[in-house]
Amino acid sequence: MRAPAAALALALAAPAAAEPVAEPWAERVLLERVDPAAVAGRLDAAALAALRATGERLFVGRFTEADGVGRPFATQAIVPTARRRAPENAFFRSAGLDANACSGCHNQPATGGAGDFVANVFVSEGFESADFDSLDPQFSNERGTNHLFGAGLIELLAREMTAELHAVRRAALAEARAGGAPVTAALAAKGVGFGAVTAHPDGMLDLGAVEGVDDDLVIRPFSQKGVMTSLRQFTVNALNHHHGIQADERFGPRWTGTRDHDGDGVDDEIGAGEISALVAWQAGLAPPAVETPADAAWRAAARRGDALFDGLGCQACHRRALPLDSLEFADPGPLDMAGTLRAGETPHGAVYDLALMAWAERLPRDADGRILVPLFGDLKRHVIADRQVATLGNELLAQRFVERNVFMTAELWGVAETAPYGHRNDLTTLDAVIRAHGGAARAARDAYVAAAETDRRALIAFLRTLVIAP
Amino acid sequence: MRRLAAALALLALAPAAAAERDMPAGDVPAMREEAAEAGIAHAYRGPWEYFVGGGAAALDCNGDRMPDLFVAGGKAPARLYVNRGRAGGPLRFAETDTGLAARDLERVLGAYPLDIDSDGHPDLVLLRLGENLILRGGPDCRFTKANRRFAFDGGRAWTTAFAAAWEKDGAFPTLAFGNYVDRQAPGAPWGTCHDNALHRPAAGAAPDYGTALALAPGHCALSMLFTDWNRSGLPALRVTNDRHYYRGGEEQLWHVEPDRPPRLFTRADGWQRLTIWGMGIAEGDIDGDGYPEYALTSMGDTKLQRLDEEAEEDRPVYADIAYARGATAHRPYRGDDLKPSTGWHAEFADFNNDGLFDLFIAKGNVEKMEDFAAFDPDNLLIGQWDGGFAEAGDLAGIDRDTRGRGAVVDDFNRDGRLDLLVVNREAPVSLFRNMGAASADGPRQGGNFVAVELAQDGANRNAVGALVSLRWGARTLNRTVQVGGGHASGRLGFLHFGIGTAERATIRVKWPDGEWSAPYRVFANNFVHLARGAADVRYWYPPE
Repeated sequence: MRAPAAALALALAAPAAAEPVAEPWAERVLLERVDPAAVAGRLDAAALAALRATGERLFVGRFTEADGVGRPFATQAIVPTARRRAPENAFFRSAGLDANACSGCHNQPATGGAGDFVANVFVSEGFESADFDSLDPQFSNERGTNHLFGAGLIELLAREMTAELHAVRRAALAEARAGGAPVTAALAAKGVGFGAVTAHPDGMLDLGAVEGVDDDLVIRPFSQKGVMTSLRQFTVNALNHHHGIQADERFGPRWTGTRDHDGDGVDDEIGAGEISALVAWQAGLAPPAVETPADAAWRAAARRGDALFDGLGCQACHRRALPLDSLEFADPGPLDMAGTLRAGETPHGAVYDLALMAWAERLPRDADGRILVPLFGDLKRHVIADRQVATLGNELLAQRFVERNVFMTAELWGVAETAPYGHRNDLTTLDAVIRAHGGAARAARDAYVAAAETDRRALIAFLRTLVIAP
Repeated sequence: MRRLAAALALLALAPAAAAERDMPAGDVPAMREEAAEAGIAHAYRGPWEYFVGGGAAALDCNGDRMPDLFVAGGKAPARLYVNRGRAGGPLRFAETDTGLAARDLERVLGAYPLDIDSDGHPDLVLLRLGENLILRGGPDCRFTKANRRFAFDGGRAWTTAFAAAWEKDGAFPTLAFGNYVDRQAPGAPWGTCHDNALHRPAAGAAPDYGTALALAPGHCALSMLFTDWNRSGLPALRVTNDRHYYRGGEEQLWHVEPDRPPRLFTRADGWQRLTIWGMGIAEGDIDGDGYPEYALTSMGDTKLQRLDEEAEEDRPVYADIAYARGATAHRPYRGDDLKPSTGWHAEFADFNNDGLFDLFIAKGNVEKMEDFAAFDPDNLLIGQWDGGFAEAGDLAGIDRDTRGRGAVVDDFNRDGRLDLLVVNREAPVSLFRNMGAASADGPRQGGNFVAVELAQDGANRNAVGALVSLRWGARTLNRTVQVGGGHASGRLGFLHFGIGTAERATIRVKWPDGEWSAPYRVFANNFVHLARGAADVRYWYPPE
């Protein structure tokens, strides 16, 4: 028997025990707590819908000081980092706070989408020089806002790929130990190569030949750099960075010794249940789709461009689809580290079965029944600039050990509706961003530049069919 | 398992207990005692001479990077246990034959591992009642007596402390031995402390400890440690002494300068007289400023020393901050016995991986000293974000009715969490597996960690004396590779860093000769092998 979503939403949301019930007109978004126990286990369609409804409300809500907006004594850093003096202004376009709601930036063409240039963010580690009043790239990396459609599928792919890479590593180590001789094993996951590791009989692992993934062989699929592991991790990061809303699971007493790490006078700003709601909402966003143009000429050009996509070599990195075994999205996930809730830290783990989403039925499957996720990406990082074609190598700061000219392949699904392009959101057309590809993408880019004008236009015609379909 | 359940129940009742003492914020490790299950049934026993000592050494004697254990037995033979555990599994050890005669393993008070001849096999220095022994390590945990080979005269003293360091350009380490009461002296035991000894290697291709220097006066040393207290690159030798037997003695700090005889820091140097029942030394840079702090165990208050404002580069003036930081641990934290505690082994370590040093102190009545607590549980002082410490021995489950002496803190099952061996007097050793952070729902994962193993070619291949400086977020953690300190107990192997919520860290090494490495980038929750001069670190994975 399924309870109506609205009733479930009421049941899972409860005011914090010590707090008075907020008046419905209160100027705040976090009116009530989501009890993690009430959203544990395998959620049925109604429960998932209710949780996602709460998540959407949090995603679009404009947080206020009553919610805990502001971090006068904490920086934007992902690792809880205190500061001695409060900044002069709580809101500041460069170093943050720089948004009132998640949807303040993620809104093109719909809530959860990408952002215009005006919604760019300025990424800084936030340890030293946490405050910067300059757009000079020596202080931060300016980045466009990515869309989140299909993000749940992306994270599931990354989890499965990571498991594959870890299995290769484990097998190589076991074989080297058993055989008493070094073993070199190719790293590949879902057909994407990530170099190789060499295991030694004493348990040592050479990592010098690893490509496109961190040395711990964890695929981190989020952010333009590919340095964030999960929607949950990114959500916790972003709430602090952009709003000064600090999640208990990272900024609470366990890791900071205080309930008000940012010193804004609000304790326990956002709990694990609310983070789960935000994760569930994002994970369930429909994946983008390929639209068939009404215009006959466009249809024809798109068909031709579809073929050229492969012929020009775009698919080498922008893989059309990667196979996914399971649509069960465990939250917390298997790969997060301390500071983002982990499966072993809570008895209230949940599974969001994305097969319950209406959009799941339209996903293609392969002969083995695996879902083919049409992401147009490979979840791998590549060098994307070179000496001659350096536009996309315009950052000065490495991020989380990833060099300045290395980025994760941008997934092209939805690209028709997420202009502008490039990680700085400063290339206004698809043509421009294709021409800006250097480094590992140089050959494909050169092929595009050398192609006939009609072929280039055909490729654009095809890419313009990759739409977000919320 | 009952004890673990009891500890978790205590944690659940924390608010009630909070009325009596400050409860720790953050994680408390759930420590499960499993010595018998793990295959270690061993006790440190003996009469008066064995009231002190009771140490153990952790070393990798078979090259598998899993820490093996050598445990002193006092009057009974010491034993060597090979680690048979697997990554993240229960602790498993198996006793193994050292290849030595039983009589050489008797009368052992403590042991420290180090690779004296840099052959890749850790050696062991045994502190004994009578002749000290250097055991030369070979393959597969076999040892041979090397006193003659290394021209080392083990003497006949009652040896209770040891430290070692490679002096400038030294091919072999300088060995310092701390002795206790000279039982042959008239009037013993009162005021008859034996001199200590410094064995410097002679120049040559092989270790030659044929000449020794007396470190006089000796004041009944119970722990000693080479320490770079002022970051000069020239370690001094800190000695903690037992006032119970000395007359006119005090804590000591020796200049140990190359090619010069050692000399004591004096009042003129700023060294202040301090008289305690010094039992153990722990070094840890608890505030991350690069200058180490020291915990000194005693009867009654533990001392926690930090360089004072009056200190200068060559003036070791220390202030005791134990009271301010909640680290005096001066009486049992549980039970009705309000008499003073008796502290022995001390060690700074991050048991909960939150990035803050915790402090373990082994406790136990000397034997039947009625003025001191009879029930005296070991301490686990959890480091707090305000720089203080909060007791959690009972919450962690290590508050046993034993008389602790030496101890080893190490990650015995390579799961990234520090476990604990405590050698108890006249009772079986305690071996605690760190199950994770205690919670009402059972143990859960703690913070992230990085474990670092250093290696360099030639002499001093384990880089004793090197400083590992690990940066995560805006914080810096400093650890030094040392041989010495604690109470008759030492370890050799990975240095453990808890790094809280950080997923990454940057490591720099100040090698023993003072040269700084380039920064190395490492990912959390890995065992890192860092070879001097290598372009990149390598990761090590324990057997599964």
